[in-house]
Amino acid sequence: MDQLILATECDVVNEVICAPDDVKELFEFTEVIFSIGPIGVTKTIFLFFLAAFVVVGLLYFGLRKRRMVPSKFGVVIESLLDFVKNDIAKDIIGPEGARYVPYLTAIFLFILVGNLFEVTPLINFPITARMAIPAFLAIVTYVIFVFVGFGRNKFRFLFDTVWPKHVPIGLRWLVGIIELVSIFLLRPFTLAVRLFANMVAGHLMLTLLLGSGVIFLTSFPEIGAKALVGIPWFVLGLAIYLFEIVVSVLQAYIFTLLSAVYIQSSVHFEH
Amino acid sequence: MLEGDIEALKGAIAIIGYGLAAIGPGIGIGIVVGNAITAMARQPEMAGTIRTTMFLGIAFTEALALIGFVLFFIA
Repeated sequence: MDQLILATECDVVNEVICAPDDVKELFEFTEVIFSIGPIGVTKTIFLFFLAAFVVVGLLYFGLRKRRMVPSKFGVVIESLLDFVKNDIAKDIIGPEGARYVPYLTAIFLFILVGNLFEVTPLINFPITARMAIPAFLAIVTYVIFVFVGFGRNKFRFLFDTVWPKHVPIGLRWLVGIIELVSIFLLRPFTLAVRLFANMVAGHLMLTLLLGSGVIFLTSFPEIGAKALVGIPWFVLGLAIYLFEIVVSVLQAYIFTLLSAVYIQSSVHFEH
Repeated sequence: MLEGDIEALKGAIAIIGYGLAAIGPGIGIGIVVGNAITAMARQPEMAGTIRTTMFLGIAFTEALALIGFVLFFIA
């Protein structure tokens, strides 16, 4: 019930929806569940490792026995891996994409599991709604595409970005500045913020609607017929719940797709 | 002005700012998806490629709205 932080504050007689008093309460679970030595483990860190174990477990049990006719579960895992390998790595990066398949598979499955925690009953907390985790994943992608860019093109990667030869000379400095800021600053920032903001928005909507629904319906004895306000909130919350499943999968796909596009722009750097 | 009034005003301005930030990307995503549907209807055999490109376009366009959403909480 600690998720329903609104319950204590909500004035069901005068309000029609239970907005949280302070939104920060939704995102700051600072209480420590248990500690290992001096390191306290919060809910986020616990779920972070749980997501990693779930991914390893899925891959282990899905690919344990490679048979001519795989089991149903094996087919699902194999088609996911095939999807990342063919539809993301090979289609976007090209034949050289095979080198990046392990990385792309890892982030795709991790983000997918992390996002789906949002709609998993009893967990209901997307770990990617904490800025640290998408920021870390975006920094890893950033390091990869910058290193690949410099490794393959030496310093041409930087010089051709700030002084693009295919642009008319009068505009070159302007395009150069825009490209420099866009590639080295905005790319990792938007990559992280896109995932983070989508999951925060979904989590917030679910908490607001389902929380309001439950609070109004449970306070039926006190407010009488006004408790029926809870029904549309709850129904809308359930509709958003289904929508969030789609968003979770789509955001995992988009994060992986954009990582592949950024790596591709370093591999085939032509200016 | 009282402290509470300033807080309320800041909140109201943040909501208006988010509304403004949502206009451009709303129009943009409409254009992207609309044109992708036209392209898919004309050449159904290219639907897979067009869908991937459409998601890319949506992702780039959507970023502005999401930055507005984040600023709404920061403000």
